[in-house]
Amino acid sequence: MNQVPFVDDIETYAQDIVDTVREPLLMLDTNLRVQSANRAFYETFHVSAAETENQLIYQLGNGQWDIPDLRTLLEDVIPTSSVFNDYELEHTFPIIGRRVMLLNGRKLRAGSHSAIIVVAMEDVTERRQAEADFRAIETYAQDIVDTVREPLLILDTTLRVQSGNRAFYHTFRVSPEETENRLIYELGNGQWDIPALRTLLEDIVPKSSVFNDFELVHDFPGVGRRVMLLNARKLQAGHHGALLVLAMEDVTERRRVEEAVAKAKEASEMANRTKSLFLANMSHELRTPLNAIVGYSEMLQEEAIDRELDSFSADLEKITLSGKQLLALINDILDLSKIEAGKMELYLETFDLNALIDEVAATLGPMVENNSNKLRIERATNLGGMRADQVKVRQALYNLLSNAAKFTHDGSITLNAEREMMDDVEWIVFRVTDTGIGLSPDKIVRLFQDFTQADASTTRKFGGTGLGLALTRRFCQMMGGDVTVSSTPDKGSTFTIKLPAVVRDVKAELTGDIADDDGDSTHVVAGLDRSTDPVPEPSTCVLVIDDDPLQRDLMRRFLSKEGYCVRCAGSGEEGLRLALELLPIAITLDVMMPDMDGWAVLKALKNSAVLREVPVIMLTMVDDPARGHTLGAADYVTKPVNRRRLSTILKRYSCSTADCPILLVDDDSMIRASLRKLLEKEGCRVTEAENGEVGLASMETQRPSLIFLDLIMPVMDGFEFAQRVRRHPDWRTIPIVVVTAAELTSAERHRLNGYVENIIHKEGHSKDKLLRQVRAALDNNAVPRIFAA
Amino acid sequence: MPRILLVEDNEMNRDMLSRRLQRRGYEVIIAVDGQEGLAMAQSESPDLILMDMSLPLIDGWEATRTLKGAVETKDIPVIALTAHAMSTDRDKALEAGCDDYDTKPIDLSRLLGKIEALIPRQNETASGGGTSS
Repeated sequence: MNQVPFVDDIETYAQDIVDTVREPLLMLDTNLRVQSANRAFYETFHVSAAETENQLIYQLGNGQWDIPDLRTLLEDVIPTSSVFNDYELEHTFPIIGRRVMLLNGRKLRAGSHSAIIVVAMEDVTERRQAEADFRAIETYAQDIVDTVREPLLILDTTLRVQSGNRAFYHTFRVSPEETENRLIYELGNGQWDIPALRTLLEDIVPKSSVFNDFELVHDFPGVGRRVMLLNARKLQAGHHGALLVLAMEDVTERRRVEEAVAKAKEASEMANRTKSLFLANMSHELRTPLNAIVGYSEMLQEEAIDRELDSFSADLEKITLSGKQLLALINDILDLSKIEAGKMELYLETFDLNALIDEVAATLGPMVENNSNKLRIERATNLGGMRADQVKVRQALYNLLSNAAKFTHDGSITLNAEREMMDDVEWIVFRVTDTGIGLSPDKIVRLFQDFTQADASTTRKFGGTGLGLALTRRFCQMMGGDVTVSSTPDKGSTFTIKLPAVVRDVKAELTGDIADDDGDSTHVVAGLDRSTDPVPEPSTCVLVIDDDPLQRDLMRRFLSKEGYCVRCAGSGEEGLRLALELLPIAITLDVMMPDMDGWAVLKALKNSAVLREVPVIMLTMVDDPARGHTLGAADYVTKPVNRRRLSTILKRYSCSTADCPILLVDDDSMIRASLRKLLEKEGCRVTEAENGEVGLASMETQRPSLIFLDLIMPVMDGFEFAQRVRRHPDWRTIPIVVVTAAELTSAERHRLNGYVENIIHKEGHSKDKLLRQVRAALDNNAVPRIFAA
Repeated sequence: MPRILLVEDNEMNRDMLSRRLQRRGYEVIIAVDGQEGLAMAQSESPDLILMDMSLPLIDGWEATRTLKGAVETKDIPVIALTAHAMSTDRDKALEAGCDDYDTKPIDLSRLLGKIEALIPRQNETASGGGTSS
């Protein structure tokens, strides 16, 4: 056997293996002289075999391996044990810089060789660096978590607590030791074992990676009842695996404040209602006995005059007058309280100013004469009428004139009334000039305050409540005007009332007058009779009002694609608010909505001066013809028909001339008979029809000048009739007056004068058809698009 | 002598107004609620009805609607008497079919003017009221 080549082969083989190892290896003899190294060693430390072999390890590379720790290892550890593992050596080498190495050593006996020490050097510099970086990041994250003032818990997927933050430990008065590595339900003797929390963590969290503002109310033994909003995120956190961060916002205090606010609000509303009710009752309770006092004293006075009991009569007159004064005072106080409570409402109507002035002058006549004054009235020839709250205008004028009469003796009082243009708005101006005691500047300042007469002594001398001017000012301001005064002591005063010729009810426009909607009245809507109110600068958006988010989204996408700017509202209230804010170019309005339905929204829109011109496209799924169709009706009357109303209508449509042909379409013969009687009294020639079909037939032979139309009839109802009339080229201009059984208040009447542009029935239409109709309706109303679609 | 039906639940108002109207030469018959008012309108055929609006059993609006809806009574003029000068009450009254309205407290001369406008007196001289208000 030739052993030598075999041994050589083995040695070569071993060297090959050693060279293949990627860790630097050094083979030392027991004197710590290098026997050999592997390729990795030479490459790592940039040295050659010649520089290395047979050198003492400490001498290698100019002594760079003379490291105290290495000496300890080699001289103390190696002699006593044949192996060492993962001895960490950190050293800065001159050429390759700082290194962290794990040294592993074996003492071997290899055949005939003496013992050698194999030192394997694993360079872990980068790993150590990464580990340090990672620790820094974790510390950083923990610092952040601890800084958050909301309690946070970090759970693993088994709902075991990884850690909590400082706020958590502080809020729930627990320590990290009691918390970490425990199941959340076990924390604090099971105080977190809350059914709602279990639902959340076990049912919701596994299905979604995030949840927000889950409200949890729980009575914690340590900290009491808490309302918390829980927010969670599932995270993948490196070697930690999936983690759940649970943030708890303590909203106990916020909820308490919210509840308190809600309660306070309710209480104040309750108090306000009580106050209103009290006022209404007071008004009634005070007036009833006063009415009796005034009435009986007047009656006795009449009796006394008849029996010529002059002394009685004079005293009775004093009682009557005092009673009337007291009544006036009560009315003033109630009016002021109403204004204070925001309960005073405007009733706007159009009336003739000359008639009003005559009436006030006649009422004041005796009072003017009492102080030997002369009342002169100067009015512009073009005075005409105004639209305002007639009662309040009358009262304001009366107050100024009666003051003038009161404070003037043997003088003259002049009422001047004219129209004036200011800032493109037409105003009605009343000036009341007297030659009375006049006012000094300091007195003028206090003049319009409640319960203030210019001088306390005035009250004793002249009587009065001191409320008249305050009320006058409030009334004028409510109507968008004001009252002012100029005066010279001892020469006289001029009080000036300025009111817009057309007063707007700002309050009703803002509230939309929704509250009084009883919801079951018949609404006749039509496309004619638009007012000529100026339209403010319009925005460029179409407002979509629909409670159904899908419908809303559909409409938004469709209209946007068509080139319209679109804004959406999810409820009637929101819609009205947005409408006022945006002044949209058109509105699409869903009829069926909870809380405030499309009809109520429509009424509010049409009741608003700024919004009534905005085209409204109703989208409806309710088949409710009594409410729904576009009628093109010019006017309407309610049953039973009021004679005066009828006569007004006839005048309006130039039918007050004799023999005016009128068609009366109603299935109720009683109504027909009574209306016919009334119309004939006015000189009209009446043709009756019991339904729409008969009505149309009769029109072929006789074209009426005006049509009175019932809506609900057999065979052909009023809606269809109206549509057919509108389609007929010769008939479409005939005014139609709708006769309805519904009771409408006067205010509602104003709103009904026809504004709906079109009504589209959703039912039975495909989506595309519906949208096409919306587009057509918008086009018909010349709603501008933002870009060419 | 023109016959006026006064429908009024307040005793003093009733007493006062009826005596003052009688003094002016009207025959006054009385009903104390809406139901009685309807019955008397049918049975007594008054020339005019003064109708308080807030009445027990059947209120004035309802009673007027019924009156105006029935053949026998629809031509009797009705003057609504509303407790306060609320425009909504006034409108409600007219919508219910009232021919005119007046507010309480009653200004007698004004009310007489309204009554005479609806039932002109042929053979009597215009009595004391006039329409000065």
